[in-house]
Amino acid sequence: MTPADTEIKRHAPSDIRIHWFNAACWLLLLATGLGLIKNERLNPLGAWFPDALRALFGGGTAGGAALLAIHEAVGVLWLLGFAAYLTVNAGGARFFLREIFSVRPGDFLWLLRKMGRMTIGRGGELPPQGYYNMGQKAFAQASVVGGAAIALSGLVLLLSDKALPAAVVVVIGWAVTLHYLAVGLVFAGLLVHIYMAAISPEEKPGFRSMFTGSVPVDYARHHHGLWVESLEKGRSGAEETNKRF
Amino acid sequence: MNAKLAMVIDSAKCIDCKACVAACKQANHVSRGVWRNWIKEAAPPLENGKLGRGHFQPGACMHCDEPSCVAACPTGATYKNTADGTVVIDHKLCIGCGNCLKACPYGARFRDPVKRIADKCTYCPERRAAGLAPACVDTCPTKARVFGDINDPGSAAAQLLAANKGRVVRVIAKEKDTKPNMYYLASTAPDGWAVKPVDPLSFDALSQVVAPLVKYAVGLSGLGVLAMLGRQLLAGPKPEATPGHDTKEDGHDAS
Repeated sequence: MTPADTEIKRHAPSDIRIHWFNAACWLLLLATGLGLIKNERLNPLGAWFPDALRALFGGGTAGGAALLAIHEAVGVLWLLGFAAYLTVNAGGARFFLREIFSVRPGDFLWLLRKMGRMTIGRGGELPPQGYYNMGQKAFAQASVVGGAAIALSGLVLLLSDKALPAAVVVVIGWAVTLHYLAVGLVFAGLLVHIYMAAISPEEKPGFRSMFTGSVPVDYARHHHGLWVESLEKGRSGAEETNKRF
Repeated sequence: MNAKLAMVIDSAKCIDCKACVAACKQANHVSRGVWRNWIKEAAPPLENGKLGRGHFQPGACMHCDEPSCVAACPTGATYKNTADGTVVIDHKLCIGCGNCLKACPYGARFRDPVKRIADKCTYCPERRAAGLAPACVDTCPTKARVFGDINDPGSAAAQLLAANKGRVVRVIAKEKDTKPNMYYLASTAPDGWAVKPVDPLSFDALSQVVAPLVKYAVGLSGLGVLAMLGRQLLAGPKPEATPGHDTKEDGHDAS
C-alpha cells in the first residue's frame, strides 16, 4: 500500500510547496494590503497601522505607493505560483477540489460536536471523517472561493489604471468592496486554521505532515478513518489518492 | 500658522475669454477632452421683456477644509496638505476606484482618460515653487482670479477678502458644507450649481456593511480560538483522550 507500515503518504512535495508559498504570499499581501487602506471610515486596525507601515518605505503617500507596488508584485507572483502548481500537479488539484466539496452525511454533526469539544469540552462522539475533516473542508472551501474572488477583484484593481476604460469605474469600486470582504472572511477562517494546525496539540502530526508529507497510521485512522478505510479496501478513493504520488 | 492657499474671484470682471482654461491645460499637460478648471455661464434673466445682466463664473477645485473627496478615498491617495491647505492627489497611490469623482459636489474631479486615475486642479505646485502664481491666475487678462495665502494678511487674496468683508460668498454643496476655499465677491453671487456629494454604492456597502461584518467575523473567530487556547492551557495536555491516539506526541507537544 504505502512505504512504511507506520506512516501514510498524505501530501506530494508540490502540495507542500504550494501550501507554504501561499502562506508566505498571504502574510505579505495581508500586511501590505492593510497598509494600503487609509480611510477614517475603514481603517481596520486604526490609522497607526498604515502610517507605521508607510513610514518604513519613506512615509506618507510615497510610502503608500511603495506598498502598492509591492502588493501588486506579490499578488501577481501569487497567481503565477498557482499557475505553476497546476501545471505540475493538476491531478492533485482535482483531487483536492473533489474532496473539499464532497460533504458527507454526518459532516455537519462532526463540525458541531468538534466545536463543542474544542471550546466547552463537551460534544459527543465524532462521526468518522474522510481525507479531510469537515473543519478542514469548510476552511478549504472558503479559501478556494475566497481566493478566486480575491484574485479576480485583485486583477481588476491591478488593471484599473493600466487598461480599464472609464465605463467600468463602477466595477472597480465594487472590486475594492469584494476584495475586502473575501480577504476578511478567509482571514477569520485562517485564525482557526492556524490554531488547529499549528497550536492545538492533537493536530501536531498533521502539522508535521505539511513538511514531511506523511502522517502516522494511528493518527490517520483516528482522524481520517474513512480515508484509511478506503486505502485499505483499495477502492477508487485509494486509487485516486495514490495516483498523485 | 500654516498657509491656506485660496482663490478669491470677482466674477464681475470675468469676460469668459477661457484663457484660464487654456493656460491650465498647457501648463499642466492636461489630457485631451478634460479640463481642470472652468467658466460657468449664468444666462441673463428676462425681466419685463428686457434682458437683465448675466455673468460668468470661473471655478476649479475649491481645496475644501472638509473635503468629501478625501473622506471617500480608500487609500489616502487624496489628502489635505496641512502645510499649504491644498487638496492633493498622489497619482502613484491612486488606484482609480472613482470614489472621489462623485464625492466632489463641484464636479472638480475627473478620471484622466490617459492616466486612468483621478485628476483635478493642483494650484500649479511647480509654478509656485518657482515663485509664480498658478497659470490660470497669471494669464487672466482682467484679474478676475486672485490667488494667495489667506492666512497671510499681506497677501492680495487676504486683502481682497478683508476689503469685501460681509459680501463674500462661497458655493456650498447641498446637505454638506465642505468648507470650500474659493471665495466669490457678492456683486456676482454664484448660481446654485453645486450638487450633493455622494459616495458610490460600492463604498457605502464597504464602509457600512462589509467592514463591520468582517470585524464581527474576525472577532468571533478570534474568540473561538481564545476559547480553544484557554481550554488547551487549563484542561491540560489531552483534551481528547481517545483510543488509538498517539499519546507520546500529544504529551510532548503540550509541554
